[in-house]
Amino acid sequence: MNPSAHSLAARRLRLCAGMLILAAAALVGPRAHSTDAAAEIRTVDQDVQALKKELVTLNRDLFRLEEELLYPASTQVAVFLSVNLGTFFALDSVQLTLDGKEVTNYLYTEREVEALHRGGVQKLFLGNLKAGEHELVAVFTGKGPHDRDYRRGTTVKFDKAVGAKYVELRITDREASLQPEFTVRQWE
Amino acid sequence: MAVWRNRGWLTAVALVSLAAPGGAAWAEEAAAPARDLPPPGKVRDLDYGDVLFHFFQDDYFESIVRLEAARDMGRLEHHRGDAELLSGGLYLSLGMHAEASRIFAELLRGPVPQSVSDRAHFYLARIGYQRGYYREAETALSRIKGTLPGKLEPERRLLAANVLMAQQRYAEAAAQLATWTDGSRWAQYARFNLGVALVRSGDAARGRPYLEAVGTMVPRDDEERALKDRANLALGFALLQERAPDPAAAALARVRLDGPYTNKALLGLGWAETDAQRPDRALVPWLELRERKVLDAAVQESYLAVPYAYAKLASNGQAAEQYRHAVAAYETETRHLDESIAAIRAGGFLDAILEAAPAEDGVGWLWQLKAAPEAPHTRYLYHLLASHEFQEGLRNYRDLRLMQRNLERWSSSLEAFDEMIAARVAANEDRGPKAARALEKVDLDGLAQRQADLAAKVEEVAASRDVAALATPAQAQQWAALAELERRIAGLPEGPQREALAERHRLLRGSLLWELDSAYKLRLWKVRQGLRETDVELARAREQRGLVDEAGIAAPRSTEGFAARVGELGGRMSDLQPRIDRAAAAQERVLANVAVAELEAQKARLASYATQAQFALAALYDSAVAAGGGQ
Repeated sequence: MNPSAHSLAARRLRLCAGMLILAAAALVGPRAHSTDAAAEIRTVDQDVQALKKELVTLNRDLFRLEEELLYPASTQVAVFLSVNLGTFFALDSVQLTLDGKEVTNYLYTEREVEALHRGGVQKLFLGNLKAGEHELVAVFTGKGPHDRDYRRGTTVKFDKAVGAKYVELRITDREASLQPEFTVRQWE
Repeated sequence: MAVWRNRGWLTAVALVSLAAPGGAAWAEEAAAPARDLPPPGKVRDLDYGDVLFHFFQDDYFESIVRLEAARDMGRLEHHRGDAELLSGGLYLSLGMHAEASRIFAELLRGPVPQSVSDRAHFYLARIGYQRGYYREAETALSRIKGTLPGKLEPERRLLAANVLMAQQRYAEAAAQLATWTDGSRWAQYARFNLGVALVRSGDAARGRPYLEAVGTMVPRDDEERALKDRANLALGFALLQERAPDPAAAALARVRLDGPYTNKALLGLGWAETDAQRPDRALVPWLELRERKVLDAAVQESYLAVPYAYAKLASNGQAAEQYRHAVAAYETETRHLDESIAAIRAGGFLDAILEAAPAEDGVGWLWQLKAAPEAPHTRYLYHLLASHEFQEGLRNYRDLRLMQRNLERWSSSLEAFDEMIAARVAANEDRGPKAARALEKVDLDGLAQRQADLAAKVEEVAASRDVAALATPAQAQQWAALAELERRIAGLPEGPQREALAERHRLLRGSLLWELDSAYKLRLWKVRQGLRETDVELARAREQRGLVDEAGIAAPRSTEGFAARVGELGGRMSDLQPRIDRAAAAQERVLANVAVAELEAQKARLASYATQAQFALAALYDSAVAAGGGQ
């Protein structure tokens, strides 16, 4: 190589390397923002947090209003569903009939079934009933032991008084017979 | 050599990009702070179970709203401590650190079971760590007295190690980790973090064994496969920096060919081969890399690396051609960057991004955005998402949009409530007078008086054992007929005929009296029973009348109350709406600035690459000229 040409090439390469290091330095690690930008990011985040809190409170008040307006305590009846172990039954759907009239036919997603198994309790039905005696029929459909189609019903007669009435449908395991069990508990 | 000098920077970039925003890698599950809160033992308030039902589906907003409402209505009496803890966790999940901290601190002020206080301290420690308050985080961790339930315990240990590392107390972190011998994911994360931290602090010799341990583990799922890749990548670049190309190549070769870290690994692998004086073998990963999308920094660098390897192999012609190709590729990419910057500055880019977001809430939606369709707005999204602040900002923006939709839904519900209340007012006005007229006809006091008179009469009958008083109507008729006969017989002239008739009358009366007497006890019991039942019915009628009267007074008041609440809530919604809009606009402005700054930096990098390619090209020409001149 011609020495002068070689030194020119070397100079160009050195310059190039220097530029790269400068460019690289700008890219290493999280980019630092100017004080103003960082302050704006913080302010916006704080505003959003405050707005979210207000929205939660507003939703809480709207939720209460809706329930108290549509389902006053004097006529309110709520049906819940819970699963305790539930290893002998894979839930697909529940059909609820109240005084001979179908009020719910609920088809479960995997996620919902998992939530039930983890201890969640589903508010399956919320409605209004007059004081007096009523009959609730729940029909559970799914897979029973040995992956067989399984359909079972349970009936409960309950007395609705002046206050709100809670009825809990429970799916449990009957260890002795290795079968699922469907029970009902009434809450006042 | 210019390209070679770039390795120092690349190593630093690789290591920086391996660490999560908080400074350390974190297990997937920990991305959702509330997710791993353990469920309470047994649900004793159904409404709490309902809150958990939504919580376990990762529907945190619905869960917190139901929790707040149920608490407000006094329906969580048996789960107060758990509910407080859960609400803190939920606020944390919703990005509301301030509210979560307030709740945990408040919870710790009262008498709570140790299991609750331990978890509250844990969450406070986590918030402290995330916000960079390491001393506070350490203090909170030191206040945990027992073993935390479920996944929280290994997470606590990881957090404790991360807090020490964040304060550069590597020896203490290592000592703590030494006692953690299980192969759990959390322990692997801790080892990875410590390895990276030590390498970054300049103590590669001590950091390597940790990375080696993670890099050679047998992964059980995708998350562990990704962690293993990250460990091998970090290890490979650490070894490259130490000029140990063969072990570096071995580590980098362990990175999967189809994972998120493949590009960096291929680039490093090429450098390892070059460092080992095997430029021909370096071309294999680099040529593979150059076929990939040019958006990626490693791919961009491969455009320089390939001609560099050709030059090393003295294939100057090919090298020159590849440098020209690199310059053209960088120019095209720079144009794309300019288009993206212009699109972002034009506004609306966040909405374009969110259109590609999955509809449901929950963890992971952010990362699904990486597969967003390519458009000027979204072309560089993958890179933008690597920035913590961009992620946080985007999450905020999405939350604000969800808030707007939430308000829209409630707005239509409120209109329906308003109509319902108006209908109730109209119904009350219509039904009220009719009901009053119907009720006027019912004289409950008169009925009660008649009941009292009857009861007195029955007691008189019982006292005098007046069996005839309880006769059936037929018997009463017979009894009256016999009395009439007796009177008429008495009026007859004396004689055998009167005697015979009197005798017959005596027999008939005796027979009837016997019948009445034998039925008397049962009849008296039945009459008394009937009176008791009437008593109950009268009391019920009085109660219902009371309820009707109360409802008559309460209904208008209640509808007035509801109308006032609807009005007040409508006002709050109207107030919130423009503030949400303003916050969304501010958030978009901030994020646009972050995005543009990021893309400008990419442009600067491409410009420097292009300059480098041009200089290298010039150097090649100079060499060629020099070689020609020398001949």
